[in-house]
Amino acid sequence: MIRARSLSWLAYVVLTIWVVLASLPVVWTAIISVRQYVDAFSIPIKWVAPFTLEHYSALWIDRGFYRNFFNTVIVTVGTVTISLTVGCLAGYALSRYKGRIGFWMLMIALIFRCLPHSTLLPAFFTIFDSLGVRNTTLTLIFVLVAINQPFTIWMLRAFFANIPQELDEAALVDGCTRLQAFRRIIIPIMWPGVITTGLFSFLLAYNDFLLSSALTNTDQATMPAAIANAITAESEALLMQGIAGAVSITIPIIILVVIFQKYLVSGLTQGAVKG
Amino acid sequence: MRFSTFLSFISPSLGLLLGLLLAPLLITFYLSTQHCNLDMQEVVVKEQTPFGVQETKTIKAKIGSDGKALTICAPPSLSHYAKLLDTERLGKAISSGNWRDIQAMEFWGAMEFTLFYVIVTTPFVLALGLLLALCVNASVERLKSFWIAASLLPFVITPVVGALAIKWLFKDNGLIPYLLTFINVNIFWMAEAWSARLLIVLYGVWHVVPFAFIVLYAGLQSLPSEAVEAAHLDGANRWQILRYVTIPHLMPLIAFITLIHVMDAYRVFEPVAVLTQGTFTKSVQYLTYHVLMNEDNPSKASAAAVLTIVGISVLLIPLLRKTWKEYQPT
Repeated sequence: MIRARSLSWLAYVVLTIWVVLASLPVVWTAIISVRQYVDAFSIPIKWVAPFTLEHYSALWIDRGFYRNFFNTVIVTVGTVTISLTVGCLAGYALSRYKGRIGFWMLMIALIFRCLPHSTLLPAFFTIFDSLGVRNTTLTLIFVLVAINQPFTIWMLRAFFANIPQELDEAALVDGCTRLQAFRRIIIPIMWPGVITTGLFSFLLAYNDFLLSSALTNTDQATMPAAIANAITAESEALLMQGIAGAVSITIPIIILVVIFQKYLVSGLTQGAVKG
Repeated sequence: MRFSTFLSFISPSLGLLLGLLLAPLLITFYLSTQHCNLDMQEVVVKEQTPFGVQETKTIKAKIGSDGKALTICAPPSLSHYAKLLDTERLGKAISSGNWRDIQAMEFWGAMEFTLFYVIVTTPFVLALGLLLALCVNASVERLKSFWIAASLLPFVITPVVGALAIKWLFKDNGLIPYLLTFINVNIFWMAEAWSARLLIVLYGVWHVVPFAFIVLYAGLQSLPSEAVEAAHLDGANRWQILRYVTIPHLMPLIAFITLIHVMDAYRVFEPVAVLTQGTFTKSVQYLTYHVLMNEDNPSKASAAAVLTIVGISVLLIPLLRKTWKEYQPT
């Protein structure tokens, strides 16, 4: 197709503009995070300015952002582990059980998948206050696991459905129990599905702001909840620390995209192709 | 699989869904009918000052024997709903065609902005997603994975961070206002209703286009090349091929993206909380959060939450119908 080639330069122009626009907010934030305030926000804009890591050291060391980092590690590791364990069991069962109840559970999960999270907060406050467990990392982990469950079981169910039933039937004939067949035969060949679902669970827990900021206070806060005070920061120092914090939160995500690009793409398209 | 095995496998997941999603929803409804206030009393505070003992009167909550503040509760009613819905004022605003008046109402204003956001972002997300998918499809093989990786960032970035990054970009003395001065445009982005709304829409499109693009790009891979060639031989031009071959092939995916995006856009929260703190742009999810956290009124927040859920239930119907058709056991 000769005519197709004649227009292909336009495709590269569009894609280049898009990549610039897609990365500009993050790239510019990274650039100004290593400047003094006067160089970061100046008219006219300075394209080159002296380099400083002052805001990073002020944030991570003086303000103890490392604690928020550890809270995030605990919350994300806890959420991903529990989500996958509970979700794999349910997803497997839903892919193998043919009864009506399975269908209804998927429909209910779909409704919950669309629930705006803030609608749960008044009740969460009431329940957790009366049990005295508000503002603990463990509570936040369980809340995030629950919020995550509908998506997790839908996605894992689709992956399990791709694994032929004959495999578990053969294992059952050979004398395995269901749980043994699940653990020894199915899970080992499910790794791509587990990794993909795990990545999305990770992103949900890592990126959550609404629930994390409402359910934890300063010493239990995750990184996104901790930089909330940068939203309305009046002082220059606080604003610059918020900018350094924003970059700090984004670096692990960029690493994740580079390493797991294939899994992320397959996860995004999977829902579309198979529902 | 036997029913008993099924039940034991799903029980942990089901327990979480019932305990941490369904039960809270029921409690939310219960809370929304409550009218409890702190039991306030006037107390006289005596203070030793250099000018002698000074008495000031303040209002404080009564403290019960267990050390917690006491509350007085009125009988349960639906009056929070009545206040939020305020059908009388809404009716007046609609009959007089006064859109500003609807925007000024607490709940309906939030609903108006939320639906505005949903309706305005959807076509941009679809159109730009399709454009990028077509462009990447036309790109050389070597660069394809670079375009995809670079596009993923806005989608996977922490929303609050993405919104902050855009806020700093558009801040007075920031990069974008500076660049705009070259074409003689001076806008204080956060200061006016239209620009604040535009900013949130920009964030929303920036954030979701990668999702639409990747799904549509995957769809293009299964486009039968025979169909395109046949149309080409029949004399169809590029636009006609797009219109009559490619888009019909992608239609199920376009429907899928629309359904998912409508659900997610209805929940818009982070850009509102970050970019404007609700000025001109309160969304329904932000309203619940704001009433709960800032007004400290859990009952009213619960009523707003229930109304928010009613709204999403209406939007959910097409998605549920689609899923129903695809998955109903035969």
